Amino acid sequence: MNVAEKPVIAAASLIGQRIQKKDAPEKAAGKTRYIQDMVVPGMLHAKILRSSRVHAKIKSIDTSAAKALPGVHVVLTAADVPDQQPIGVARDHLPLKGERVRSLRDEIAAVAADSDEIAEAALKLIRVEYEDLPVIASPEDAIKPGAPLIHPTPLDAHGRPQSLPPKTPIAFAGKPDNIAMRFDYTHGDIAQAEAESDVVVEDSFQLHYVTHCCMGVSGVIAEFDASGNLLMYSNTQVPFLHKREFAEYLNIDPSRVRIIQPPIGGGFGSKLDIYPFEVICIFLARAAKRPVKMVFTREEEFLASPTRQPVLLTLRSGCRKDGTLTFRQVHTLHDNGAYTSWGATTPFVMMQTFSSLYRVPACDYHTTVVYTNNPYAGSFRGYGNLQATFAIEQHMDMLAEKIGMDPLDFRLKNAQDAGEVTGQGMTFKSCGFKECITTAAERSDYRKKHADNIANRNARGPVKRGIGIASMLHVGGGAKIYPSDGCGTILKLDDFANVTLITGASEIGQGSETVLSQLVCEELGLPISAVTVVNNDTAITPWDVGVHASRTTFIAGNSAIGAARKAKAKILAAAAKKHDCDEAALDLRGGFVVVAETGEPVVELARLMRNLHFSDKAELVMTTFYYEPPSVHQDKAFKGDVSAAYAWAAQVVEVEVDTETGIVKMTKVTGTHDVGRVLNRLGLEGQIEGGVVMGQGYALTENLIVENGVTRNPNFRDYKLVTAPEIPEMDITFVESMDGEGPQGAKGVGEAPAICIAAAAANAIHNATGVRIFGLPFTPEAVYRALRGKSDKPHWPAWKPE
Amino acid sequence: MTAIERYAAPQSLDEALGILQQGEVTILAGGTDLMPQTKAGRIAFKPTLMNIGRVAGLKGVSLDGAYLRIGALTTISELLRDPLVVQHAPVLAEACDQFASDQIRNAGTLGGNINNASPAGDTLVPLIVLDAEVELASKPNGSVTTRRLPLAEFFTGPGRTKRAANELLTAVRVPLPQPGHVARFYKFGTRPALDISTISIGIAGIKRDGALTDIRVAFGAVAPTPVRAPRTEAALEGRPLDAEAIAAGADTARDEVSPIDDVRATAWYRKELIHNMTKRMLDHVAQA
Repeated sequence: MNVAEKPVIAAASLIGQRIQKKDAPEKAAGKTRYIQDMVVPGMLHAKILRSSRVHAKIKSIDTSAAKALPGVHVVLTAADVPDQQPIGVARDHLPLKGERVRSLRDEIAAVAADSDEIAEAALKLIRVEYEDLPVIASPEDAIKPGAPLIHPTPLDAHGRPQSLPPKTPIAFAGKPDNIAMRFDYTHGDIAQAEAESDVVVEDSFQLHYVTHCCMGVSGVIAEFDASGNLLMYSNTQVPFLHKREFAEYLNIDPSRVRIIQPPIGGGFGSKLDIYPFEVICIFLARAAKRPVKMVFTREEEFLASPTRQPVLLTLRSGCRKDGTLTFRQVHTLHDNGAYTSWGATTPFVMMQTFSSLYRVPACDYHTTVVYTNNPYAGSFRGYGNLQATFAIEQHMDMLAEKIGMDPLDFRLKNAQDAGEVTGQGMTFKSCGFKECITTAAERSDYRKKHADNIANRNARGPVKRGIGIASMLHVGGGAKIYPSDGCGTILKLDDFANVTLITGASEIGQGSETVLSQLVCEELGLPISAVTVVNNDTAITPWDVGVHASRTTFIAGNSAIGAARKAKAKILAAAAKKHDCDEAALDLRGGFVVVAETGEPVVELARLMRNLHFSDKAELVMTTFYYEPPSVHQDKAFKGDVSAAYAWAAQVVEVEVDTETGIVKMTKVTGTHDVGRVLNRLGLEGQIEGGVVMGQGYALTENLIVENGVTRNPNFRDYKLVTAPEIPEMDITFVESMDGEGPQGAKGVGEAPAICIAAAAANAIHNATGVRIFGLPFTPEAVYRALRGKSDKPHWPAWKPE
Repeated sequence: MTAIERYAAPQSLDEALGILQQGEVTILAGGTDLMPQTKAGRIAFKPTLMNIGRVAGLKGVSLDGAYLRIGALTTISELLRDPLVVQHAPVLAEACDQFASDQIRNAGTLGGNINNASPAGDTLVPLIVLDAEVELASKPNGSVTTRRLPLAEFFTGPGRTKRAANELLTAVRVPLPQPGHVARFYKFGTRPALDISTISIGIAGIKRDGALTDIRVAFGAVAPTPVRAPRTEAALEGRPLDAEAIAAGADTARDEVSPIDDVRATAWYRKELIHNMTKRMLDHVAQA
C-alpha cells in the first residue's frame, strides 16, 4: 500500500512571534538609499545663511557678491519672496526674515548653486548689517512687566502701530505681549480638596533642552514639473498634512503637490511640523526652475531643528493620611523660543498625566507659553509627558514618605482601573496599570532593595545604590487632534497570491511595515514575505494623519485588518462558489483555502487567484478600508475621550551613585508595559529598548546648553548621547490587557518607554543618597553639587497672567 | 576652497625634513585632529600639505638601551596592544584604552596627539609622569640633526609647543621603569570613552616601604597645557602613604590647579574632582 497522509494545514498564528523588520537587512548592510544619497537630474544644492545675532533688526542685506560667484544660480532673501506666508501652529514664523531676527537659527538668505561647496562659499559673501536688540534669554524675563517684545506690532511710516484687519497672522500683526499660548484646565474643587488634605507638598521642577539627534538629518528635495506641479522628496512624518499646507503657502491646489518620502533615518517627532528650510527650498526651486536639494549638516541639525520643550513647573500635591490623593495644582512656564511649533502644545498631554494617571478628585492645571530669543521646541517622543511624569512621580514618592506609606502601596491605592472615567473625561476600557506596577516591582525586587538601600546610605565607600519606580499613562489608540484621526488602506492580491499593501501610514524606522504586513498575513494565511508595502507617496497612498501619538500600529493596523478581512471574504466567497461548499466553513492558511475545521486544503490561493482573473467573469481581489477610531475631540475645557485606548507602564530604575564624582551609573531597568497584546515581540522589544535609552539620555547625559540664546554644544562631542557601554541591563515584560478596539487587542507603545526613566532615576538617586534633585539632567557635576548642597533648588511661584 | 597649493608625500625622513625646511608646511599624520580643526576654521592649512604617513622608520615600538622608543606614527590602537608598551609602560596602554573611539584610535598617532598639544590630550599626562622625552629632527644646513626635550617642558599653550617650524617630531622615549615603579592614570569623562577629559590625573613614583619617592604628579585639562604639579609632588615625596599624607597630597593638588569654566565643567567642580580623585588614586597606590 502506498497511501499518502491527507495534508492538513494547522492554524499557525503570527501574533506574538519575533519577526525581523522587513527593512533590517538592507539597513544593516548599508544599502538603504536615504535622501542624502538621492540625485535628481539637474538638481542644485542649497544652503541657508542664518543669523549671527540672537536678537536684532536687520538694517541691510547685500547679496551682490554671492550672486556674482560662478556656479551660483539663485540667491533669495525675504525681499525676493514678497508672497511668503507665515508657517507654524500660531502663524508667527516667516521662513525668510527680512526685518528682524529673533534667534540664532533665523534664516536670512538662501543660495542654490552647482555644489554644496559653492553654495557655502556664496553664503560667506553675503553681507548683513544688524542693529542689536536686547536679548530675552529666559521665560521668567519674558513675562516681566516692560520686557522687550519678541513680536512687536509693526509701526507705520509715522511711528504708529499699523492698523491691520482682524485675524492678520502674528507674523504680520505682532503681539502686544510675549505670551504665545495659554492652557487652563480644572476639575473638582481645589480649595475643598486642599482643606481635606493631611499632607501637602509643593516643589518646582526644571526641565532642560534636549534634541532628537536623528541619525538622518533634516533634508528635502523640491522640484516643479513643466505644468507647475510641486514634487517634494521629504523626510516628513505627516505627508498629507504637509501637502495641504504647502499648497496653501504656494496658493495652489493641493492636488498639485506630491510628497514622496525616501527611507527616513529617524523622526521621533522632529519631522512633525513644517520648517523654514522646506519652504525656502521650494522658493529656490521655483526661482531656479531646477530641482533643489537641501540637507542639513550635523551642526545645523543641532542649531536649527526643534528641541524637546523646556519647562519650569511648580506642582502642589496633597493626600490624606490613609494614602488617598486629594488634589494637584500645576503651574508651568514653557519657553516657546522665538516661534511657535508643537512644543507649545505639549500641555495637551501634560495635563492628562496630572489629571488622570492616578485618581485625583481635583486638578487645576495652568500653562503659560512665552516667547524668548531661544531655539524653539517642537514635538518629541512623549510630547510633554516626560516633563509631567518627572514632577508627578517624584511627588508620589515624597507624599508616600510624608505619610509613612510604602511608595508601591501608595501608587496602587491611587492607580486607575479598567472602567474608570477620569475628571478629564478619559475612559479606560482596557487597563493593566496595577499589574504593570506589581510586575515591575516584583521582578526587580523593589521593596527589599528600596529598604536595603536606605539602610546602607551611611555605609563605607563612595558608591551608593538606589532603586526608583515611576509609572506612566499615554494615549495608545491615536489622539483625535485633527478633524480625522484615521488611516486608509488599499490592498491587492496578484495572480500569485502576493499582496501589495498600500497604506497611508509612514515608516520612520518604527517597524510599521512589518507589523502591518503581519496583521494582513494573519488574516490571509500568508507568510510575511508575500507582502510588499507601499507607503511613501501621497499620489498613491490613501490619507493618513501622520506618524504621531503612538498611533500607527493601532490606527493603520485596524485599517489594514479591515482591508484584509474584506479581501478574505471575497476570496472565500469565490472559493465556496467554485468548489461548491459553504464559505463559512472555509479559512485561509499557509497559502491555501482550507476547510476551517479540519485544515484540509481546498485550493491553493494563488491558483484560485488565477482562476478568478483568467475566467469569463475576470476579476481581481482589490479592497479598500478607512479606519476612524471611536474617539472624540476634546471640548474647549480640554475634556473628552481623545484616544480609543490608553497605554500604561511602570519602570524601575536602579543606579549606582559615585558620591565623590557625582557620576550616576544606570545599572538596570525593569519595565512592564500594558501593550494590549504583543504583536511583533521583536519589534516591541526594540521600541522599548530604544525608548529606555532615549529616556536615559534625557535623565543623565543629554543637555543642549543654551546660554543667552546661543547653543554652546552643537556637536556629538559635547552633546552627550548615551553610548553602548552605558546602556543598562533591561528586563522588559508585557501585560496583555487585550484592548477591545485594538488590532488583535494591541495598543500603541511608541512613545511610552521613554517617559518614566528620568522620574524613576530621580527617585533612585534619592533612594541611594537621601538627596532629591528637582532639575534635569543628572550630569555628574549637577549631582555632585546637589550632594554637596551647592545647587539652587528651582523656584517658580505659582503664576498665571491676569 | 582651501589654500593648499601642494601636496607632498615623502618616503624618507631626509626628504620630509627637506620639505619642512622650505617652510609653510602643514603636517598630516592620522588627520583625526587636523581635519576637524581645519574644517571648523580653527586652524588654516599652509600652502604645502605634507602627508608623513609613508616616511620610513617613524612607526613602531622598540627597546633602545634603557629606553622604550615609540615612533611618532605609531597609532593609538598599536600602542594599546603593543607587548613592550604593556610590559614597560602599562599606564600608557591604559590611557589609550580610554582614548576616543576605535576608528579614531586606528588613525590617530602618538606624534599627532602630542603635537596637537591639547590640555586634555589623553596620552600626555601619563607620558609626562613617565618622564618621557620627545625627539625632534630637522635639516637646517643640509644634514639631519636631532634634539631631545622633556615632554613636561614641550608645551607652551593650547595647540602650541617648542617644536620649531622646520622640525619633525620623530619619536618619544620613555625610560624603562625602575624596581618598585608604580604609575596610575585617571581620566574623568562623563562616559567610558569617546569623551574629552574634564580632568585627568597621572601619578608615578617608586614605592618602597609604604612610601613613594621620585614622585611625578601631572594634571590634564586644568591649565592651558598639561602640567606637572611640583607642590603636590613635594607634599607627598618620601612620606609614608597614610591617611594624613594622602589628605595633604589631595588638598595640595586642589590648591595647585587653576582650571577654567567651560561647557564640560566649572572650575570649582574640576578642583573638587582633582582633590577627590587624587585621593582615590593615592588610596589605591597605598593599598596595592
